[in-house]
Amino acid sequence: MADTNTRNDSIKGRNRKYISFERKRTIAGILFLIPTLILCGMFVVWPLITVIKYSFHSWNGLSATMDFVGLDNYKALPSTEGFFDMAKATTIYAFGTTTLIVIIGFIAALALDKKGRYRVNRGFMRALWFFPCLLSGAVVGIIWRIMYTYSNGVINTVLKSMDLTPVNWLETHGVTMIAIIVATVWSQVGMCIIIFMAGLQSIPGELYEAAAIDGANTGQRTRLITIPMMAPSITINVLTTSIMAFKMYELPFTISRGLPGYSTRLLTQRIYFYGFTAMDYGIGSALSVLLIVIITVISLIQLVILRKREDIY
Amino acid sequence: MVKKKAALTILSEVFLLLATAILWIPIYYFFIGAFKTRTDIVNFPLAIKPSMITLDNFVYTFTKMKFFSALKNTGIITVVALVAIVVFASMAGFAIARIDRKLFKFIYSALITLMVIPFIGTVIPLVVQSVEIKTYNTLLGGILIQVGWNLPFAVFLYTGFMRGIPKEMEESAYIDGCSMYRMYAQIFLPLLAPVTATCLIRCGIGIWNDYLVSKSILNDAVTPTLMVTIHSFFGERRTEYGYAFAGIIAASLPIVMTFVSFQKYFIKGLVAGAVKG
Repeated sequence: MADTNTRNDSIKGRNRKYISFERKRTIAGILFLIPTLILCGMFVVWPLITVIKYSFHSWNGLSATMDFVGLDNYKALPSTEGFFDMAKATTIYAFGTTTLIVIIGFIAALALDKKGRYRVNRGFMRALWFFPCLLSGAVVGIIWRIMYTYSNGVINTVLKSMDLTPVNWLETHGVTMIAIIVATVWSQVGMCIIIFMAGLQSIPGELYEAAAIDGANTGQRTRLITIPMMAPSITINVLTTSIMAFKMYELPFTISRGLPGYSTRLLTQRIYFYGFTAMDYGIGSALSVLLIVIITVISLIQLVILRKREDIY
Repeated sequence: MVKKKAALTILSEVFLLLATAILWIPIYYFFIGAFKTRTDIVNFPLAIKPSMITLDNFVYTFTKMKFFSALKNTGIITVVALVAIVVFASMAGFAIARIDRKLFKFIYSALITLMVIPFIGTVIPLVVQSVEIKTYNTLLGGILIQVGWNLPFAVFLYTGFMRGIPKEMEESAYIDGCSMYRMYAQIFLPLLAPVTATCLIRCGIGIWNDYLVSKSILNDAVTPTLMVTIHSFFGERRTEYGYAFAGIIAASLPIVMTFVSFQKYFIKGLVAGAVKG
């Protein structure tokens, strides 16, 4: 009995010391976190809350008073100029870029992953494919806008030299959308390749050896080993690329200015337009909230799918 | 069999090289275009001869575009923001990785969640805010926003890295009476070089290439940044392709040089952010 008591006492005594030591550490930890909390709070969390607040108000950004209008801004969205054109353009753009980037990225990663005789240095090739990702979206927009120019852009010059009809890339409905999708794929596919290559390198080589012993050919090995093993990388790439596409502003805007008509006006361009040209903060904020919701939903899907997969394996 | 395999390898390699060549046409086009006159760019877009080479585009860019004042602004924003990001994020990551408390776990999850938010979704209140706190059109305004928006990712990087450092090392230091502050400065900071390289490269490229923050917060002629300057310059002189190309090369050079020298860290940083974020 006496023994247990002393032991309890000593544990208590140690605990007390331990707590004060822990408390010191906690205080130090909080001090370490303060700069991050202040900066993220002020410049990320606060604007996030404010944009939701603005979306329930009618305000032009200048007048002293803001009128609370409830859900009126959201209800007015469908009747704002070109809303459905914007929804269509944003959907086509996001879907088109994501599909193309993931398919091209996957094929390119498979090709770039193979090493051996008769092949060019892989590190060098990977750098070549990643290179366009280094350029700013604004810069990529300028380059492609010049290339697409009708009368003297390089693409039409080449078409003419091959006796083909030049295309009015920047002023034809439907074609301009393809033009901005191609430019986006060009500038973003490198990122996707890097993630796919990291995934490919994590597949154990034994799987391929075992399959080869069992007599599986290259096609079977790709279909039955590579693609299933790459499922997490494919999920990540599909979702991060679609988030990138929904967020993209300067690249498509520089190329097409949202023209012709409303055919390439994306959600981000409408936010900028209502916020800084039309000065209708209510509608602009409602559109911003719409964008934030879309991106949050995609991120949640990503989280759920990846979690589920971790449970299975 | 062996011969057939070699032939297939060479064939697939030829396809890959062809695709790579197509991918590089735009880069080749603007790179050689920067050294040609407008007439040559239009008439011979993909050709270059020694007789065509001229440096006029660069001379024009450097003298007429206010290139150096824009370079200075971008440089200041990038350097100051990166220093702040590295210092604050390593401190925060240290606290989160080393203190096993619910509060810190909650803060970490909250910060990670912020990585999802798109900047353009909050640009309207940010402009209003920067006018209110008088940082509109000042470099400080741009720096603060860049730091705030890059910190969640940086904290994520540092926390992940520090969780991998064995605890035994600091336990012995604590027994010897080392404080949390000394622990951070003398034991952790020197170990952080790899993750700091990753963080600098990843955040640096984003800040250097940024267009949207500068466009909305620093849109005056007083504090233009490189990307905004080139963009608006191109908008004014839409037909002078050579000037635009020269400006693009000059403005992208620092990023390209960093990429060439630190490719390993570059790729590592990209994978780290994408796979776990």
